[in-house]
Amino acid sequence: MSLLLEVDGAEKRFGGLPALDGVTFGVDEGEILAVVGPNGAGKSTLLKTIGGLERLTAGSISLSGSKLDGLPPYRIRHRGVAMVMQTPQAFASMTARENAVLGAMFGSATGLLSEREARVRAEEALGFVGLSDRAEDPVATFNLHQLRFLELARALAGHPRLLLLDEVMAGLNDAELEASIGIVRTVRNQLGVTVIWVEHVMKAVMNLAERILVLDFGTMLAEGAPADVMRDPSVIEAYLGSSSSA
Amino acid sequence: MTAVVLDGIVLGLQFGLLGVGLTLVYGLGGVLNLAHGQLAVLGAIAVWLAIGTGLPVLPAVVVGLAAIGLLGFLLDTTLMRPVYARRGDERVLLGLLLTLGVAFIIDGLLNWRYPIASLNISIGGDPISILGVRMRTGSLLASTIAIAAAGLLLLFFRGTTLGRGVRSVIQDEEGARLVGINPASVRNLIFALSAVLAGLVAVTRSMTSPVSASAGIDFTILALIVAVVGGLGSILGAFVAGILLGIVNTVSSFYIGQYITTIVLLAAAALTILLRPSGLLGRRK
Ligand SMILES: Nc1ncnc2c1ncn2[C@@H]1O[C@H](COP(=O)(O)OP(=O)(O)OP(=O)(O)O)[C@@H](O)[C@H]1O
Ligand SMILES: [Mg+2]
Repeated sequence: MSLLLEVDGAEKRFGGLPALDGVTFGVDEGEILAVVGPNGAGKSTLLKTIGGLERLTAGSISLSGSKLDGLPPYRIRHRGVAMVMQTPQAFASMTARENAVLGAMFGSATGLLSEREARVRAEEALGFVGLSDRAEDPVATFNLHQLRFLELARALAGHPRLLLLDEVMAGLNDAELEASIGIVRTVRNQLGVTVIWVEHVMKAVMNLAERILVLDFGTMLAEGAPADVMRDPSVIEAYLGSSSSA
Repeated sequence: MTAVVLDGIVLGLQFGLLGVGLTLVYGLGGVLNLAHGQLAVLGAIAVWLAIGTGLPVLPAVVVGLAAIGLLGFLLDTTLMRPVYARRGDERVLLGLLLTLGVAFIIDGLLNWRYPIASLNISIGGDPISILGVRMRTGSLLASTIAIAAAGLLLLFFRGTTLGRGVRSVIQDEEGARLVGINPASVRNLIFALSAVLAGLVAVTRSMTSPVSASAGIDFTILALIVAVVGGLGSILGAFVAGILLGIVNTVSSFYIGQYITTIVLLAAAALTILLRPSGLLGRRK
């Protein structure tokens, strides 16, 4: 397998405090990597620096060997990195379809598609997440679960290579959780999209992730296969010590 | 009375076109372009110069509007850059100061080079009767152009993904970036479009009354009033406000007097801010 994403010595400071400190890892093409850690560990910050929404204060990030850090978010999106944020971002005044078409039209590699092509891709993506029959509905009527699926569709409509998901399974009931796990797995299996996925819901992580990276206070505590990492004493202590919701 | 109201609608459609450019630029970048009216007049003078070289009116209008659009684009990519690089109050203040500077420069240049220039496009033909009111062909043509332009704009912004892309930047710039939109190039294009629309309004105005080189400030004030009453950032709001204010304008100048009309319009704007701070159709934050 070839290396898709390389994060090397990533550091992000807000004022004096580091939210990320010397984070170094790689992600293979087609891999599902879960990022876990207590609240405030720097997980969202890590995704945002990859997506270009936050700038690194030191270190570098590259995709297929070409430099990603320093590029504006829309450029990074055109390189094939799509993101679903922790708080839903879909445009509430538009319908689900309009949102997905936006993602297809502006999120694709060329940065602009024809209206027709964008509609085709949007329809596919909505179908993929099972929202075809809600396409005409205004986003304002969606519940949290549907909003996340819509954002996933909006991201997929741009045909990304790398998908960044930030706690998309928080607050779901068991059935919704099952569905979400299934969809993320299909995204990888059928579309070949690589996934970096921040998650607190350990049940889902153990079920879906192929590798886990544990962050605590911006540094990497552990990295490896799910079962191994979860037995790591430093990881256990970080979780028990912080009494987080995980 | 019908005649006065119809006149008001004719005027109001043009007010709407004038306001919509200002409102779009504000919505996208937080900049109230105080040179908006000067760009309108500069467009009219560009058309006047083109006609002066012997071009027929229609090609002259196309050339003049293209020139003003290009100028808008250049202004946004050069002078406005430091404005967009800042956030919050700093951006607002720097934007006001720089565009005010541009307004003075354009006024100064026009006053120096073309002090007595004025565009006056006369449209021949007999008056046509509408709702029992005889309308001059110039007014009718001006309204037709304004209606067509307004229709195209609304179609673009509501009916196409490109237009929705622009609106998405107004609603949530970070969200727009996330879907792959480059807000800076959207701003460039819209600034250019806004200049073209301003120029177009000056051209349609000149079909009913001459537009002089010194009319910039009047256009700017009008655009500000329309945009504020309609709700800054609201496209439909600008048109609704434009038509309402157009009617207020003609009614008040007919029954009260021309000299007091600007004050009536300003009062309408002030009243709107008091009653509905976000304007008629603006989003409440
Ligand atoms: N824009 C910002 N300005 C200042 N500090 C920030 C900013 N964003 C994040 N931080 C800080 O950086 C640290 C890491 O935040 P981050 O959101 O990445 O954590 P997280 O691991 O995603 O937490 P959670 O599980 O609660 O989502 C926190 O201490 C947070 O307060
Ligand atoms: Mg987070």
